[in-house]
Amino acid sequence: MPLLETRGITVRFGGNIAVDEVSVGIEPGRITGLIGPNGAGKTTLFNTVTGLLRPDSGQVLLDGADITRLPPARRARLGLARTFQRLELFLSLSVRDNVRVAGDIRRAGGHRADVGKETDRVLELTGLSDIADLDVSGIPTGRARVVEVARALMTSPRVLLLDEPASGQTEAETDAFARLLTGLAADGLAICLVEHDLPLVMRLCSTIHVLDYGAVIASGTPREIQESPEVIAAYIGTEEVSA
Amino acid sequence: MTTFLTFTLLGLVLGAVYAIAASGLVLTYNTSGIFNFAHGAQAMLGTFLYWQLAHGWGWPVWLALIVVVGVVGPLMGAALHAVIMKGLRDTADVTRIVVTVAIMLGMVFLSQWLWHPEEARVVEMFFGANAKVEFLGVVVRVHEIICLLVAAAIAVGLRMLFTRSRVGLVMRGTVDDPDLIRLNGHNPDRVAALSWAMGSTLAVLAGILITPIGGGALEANALTLLVIDAFAAAMFGRLRSIPRTFVGAMVLGLAATYVTAYFPTDWTWAGNLRVSLPMIILFVVLVLLPQDRLRGAAIRTRERYRVPTVRRAVVWGAVLVAAVVLLMPLMEDTSITTFGLGMTFAIIALSLTLLTGYAGELNLAPLAFGAVATIVAFHFGITGTGLAARLTLWGILLAVLVAAVVGGLVALPALRLRGLYLALATMAFGVFLSNMVLRDTVEHTLFGVTFSLFPNGTLIVPPLQIGPLDLRDPGTLLITATALFAAIAVGLVALRGSGYGRRLAAMKDSPAATAMLGQDLVRLKFGVFMLSAAIAGLGGVLMSTASGSVAGENFAITAGLSLVMLTVVGGIGYVSGALFGGLMSGVGFVIIIGTFNDLAMATPEMAGIYKTLGQVVLVATALIGMGVGKNPSGLVHDLFDGYRTLRGARPVLAGGAAAGAVLYLLALTGVIGNWWFAILTVLLVTTLPAFGRALMPRAVLSEEEFARRRTVPPELAGIDEPYTDDLRDRLDRELGLPVREGRGGPRARPAVEEGDVHAIA
Repeated sequence: MPLLETRGITVRFGGNIAVDEVSVGIEPGRITGLIGPNGAGKTTLFNTVTGLLRPDSGQVLLDGADITRLPPARRARLGLARTFQRLELFLSLSVRDNVRVAGDIRRAGGHRADVGKETDRVLELTGLSDIADLDVSGIPTGRARVVEVARALMTSPRVLLLDEPASGQTEAETDAFARLLTGLAADGLAICLVEHDLPLVMRLCSTIHVLDYGAVIASGTPREIQESPEVIAAYIGTEEVSA
Repeated sequence: MTTFLTFTLLGLVLGAVYAIAASGLVLTYNTSGIFNFAHGAQAMLGTFLYWQLAHGWGWPVWLALIVVVGVVGPLMGAALHAVIMKGLRDTADVTRIVVTVAIMLGMVFLSQWLWHPEEARVVEMFFGANAKVEFLGVVVRVHEIICLLVAAAIAVGLRMLFTRSRVGLVMRGTVDDPDLIRLNGHNPDRVAALSWAMGSTLAVLAGILITPIGGGALEANALTLLVIDAFAAAMFGRLRSIPRTFVGAMVLGLAATYVTAYFPTDWTWAGNLRVSLPMIILFVVLVLLPQDRLRGAAIRTRERYRVPTVRRAVVWGAVLVAAVVLLMPLMEDTSITTFGLGMTFAIIALSLTLLTGYAGELNLAPLAFGAVATIVAFHFGITGTGLAARLTLWGILLAVLVAAVVGGLVALPALRLRGLYLALATMAFGVFLSNMVLRDTVEHTLFGVTFSLFPNGTLIVPPLQIGPLDLRDPGTLLITATALFAAIAVGLVALRGSGYGRRLAAMKDSPAATAMLGQDLVRLKFGVFMLSAAIAGLGGVLMSTASGSVAGENFAITAGLSLVMLTVVGGIGYVSGALFGGLMSGVGFVIIIGTFNDLAMATPEMAGIYKTLGQVVLVATALIGMGVGKNPSGLVHDLFDGYRTLRGARPVLAGGAAAGAVLYLLALTGVIGNWWFAILTVLLVTTLPAFGRALMPRAVLSEEEFARRRTVPPELAGIDEPYTDDLRDRLDRELGLPVREGRGGPRARPAVEEGDVHAIA
């Protein structure tokens, strides 16, 4: 039973169909991949799921409850967290405060916790302790993406949506990041990964959905996806993917 | 029936002129993303010029029209774009708004300098007021027909421009994505310049058409506020759609004439209601507008602020109070009173630091909340009569509470929308207050209670007394206001460092990301706006008691705007920016202009020059405001940066302190006058960092800059430096490599200096 589910989500921008009848599910304890060429509708789907966009039709379900019409903040409080493809860090705050503010918001919402201690734990977990006191505007993109993940984790989410988290990361950073995601999934988090680094997606995900022109053209295990003729034709072209 | 038709026609004529003005506003907003608060001021300047040519110098009307509408209008727009607007890319909304507000103020000051406000000037209708046509029993003036025809022609012309012409299509795309437009081989700058020229022409045209309709003499402020009518109309089309803007303009025009025609004339509010109608309609539309999409930080803005620690804020607060105490022996009683008044303005300015500097929202009428609080305090907070009358603590608390609640009510409709709408709503509230509440001077009876909100047009507000603390004495008032400023400032710094402050900063930086962390943005904005209105209310009541008596003009919308502008000039992210803005707008200019007037009196042969200098100072203020576009972080930011470099150069700091002490002693003993003391002190404070750089470059300059100063060719700079572990760590961090063992913990030197590459961009 998926924790987060979309049912027939359709989003139109004027005459263009950006997302076309997409139904996918994200399960707890697993990493679900969402791949597709640029403009396939991945970020639009994320925006719809998180409430920044209203779909023209279709439903978003979290733990069986319809959240299609809830504002973003309510969805976040129900356990939905995300990162942004175009980084959305709080540039006037330090790395630590970027993470910490997520805890501040939870606290203001009535959640009792030691925000400072929790922040330190998340910084340690995500390997950001060494740059915690730097200005977030000065750190490299690869690490800035990890700050976004850390910030999202600070909300104690049940579902984590990652929008191209590995782009701009060095190889070493990607390895550490992959270990982090595997660990989080093992703890029961439902993770949805949008990523162009296909080897990484193939290595981490148990299920992969392929989007093209807004529609799901294939779903399955990494092996099935790699062998799917539609995927090879529509997305990967003639090149073989190596896992 | 004839009456109805007549008023309907008049309403349509008024609507036609609003439509002309509003479509210009929509045009520039859509192509440049800048909402032009100076739109009405441009109309005003153009109309004054037209009067000068056609009436003052007796040129033929057609020639004056060609010069003003055909040449000056477009040139003014193009010049604004070339000199100022082009430089506003990558700035926050706040900066953009403040720059156009500064232009507006500058234009008002300029017109009052060139055309003395007390002289009556009448702009006549085209073909005279007696040229009439009768149609179905309704008498129409030719001028009115011209208004309708011009509006219709503009509607058709704009429609053709946007749908049929290539440049119109590009105009529609410019604000959405200038880079894309550039890729397609168009020049977004040229398109923006064209739209500014057109917008400015439309403004000027509207000004010339509307002035004779309104009747009466040409008046700078009234015409400048035409922008409010225009934006109320534009709001019907969400500032985007020109056809809907035309509809909105007609609704506005008709509503205005019907109120004049059918409201009972003995109802004292009706006259004021007519003036306030645009603002009331604006609020209704705001409530009805659908919610905006949440935005992220789509642009990386240039504004940067550093947050001081609370301990440092406490130290500086104490320094401020001590400095004021030390300065008091130098000042005469009147100066102490003026200074105290300025300090109360600084408290009002702190409300802007919180709202704008910390939370990124804008209030263009801070003084309006001061006025609300003053009215409440006047009616409910005074005990005793005559000289024994005192303002009570409870009165002030009630006044502050009411100001907060009113602030919440004003802000609520706009909070779901972008920051610009809140700015518009607050400005509209300021105008509404000036028109309706502060003019409510005659007693009237409502629900069996006889009252007037602003009796006789002047409120006498007695000094505050809390227990033994009696603010009757100007010195006590000054010290109390300063201490209060310091206390609130420290409180704000503490707030900024708290979880609440971090949430505000997050909302300001990226509303979308903040919402995705579970923050209800409307609630957060609502709370911070109320808190800010409360601070403005407190400052406002104190300002009123410091003045002793206040009239409507004390809370004029332009006074509030210049407070906002100067606070941003000082540095909206800093409490010291509020001190600068408050002192300058509250009393700085009064003092400077007063001094020039005194000089003019003392030396009659130089009077002309001194009077001109006084006017130049006013216009220059606005020029400083326009400079915000170049330096959006503010003056105090640069000053702090200068002193930050001096930390390694203790002798320079000590020398500066010694020089300051010497100046003080000289002033205290009367060797130098107060003016010299002030000028030399300001000079000393602002140039000390430059002295530091010249005298102790090794200690003051950063390594890079020091290397650059040496005679080595630039490509070899730093080649003789030893390659230290420090540098190596730094390179590692810049490249994002893992930190080596045993070094570079969190407390290590920051790897990235301010102003370095922003790797995230």
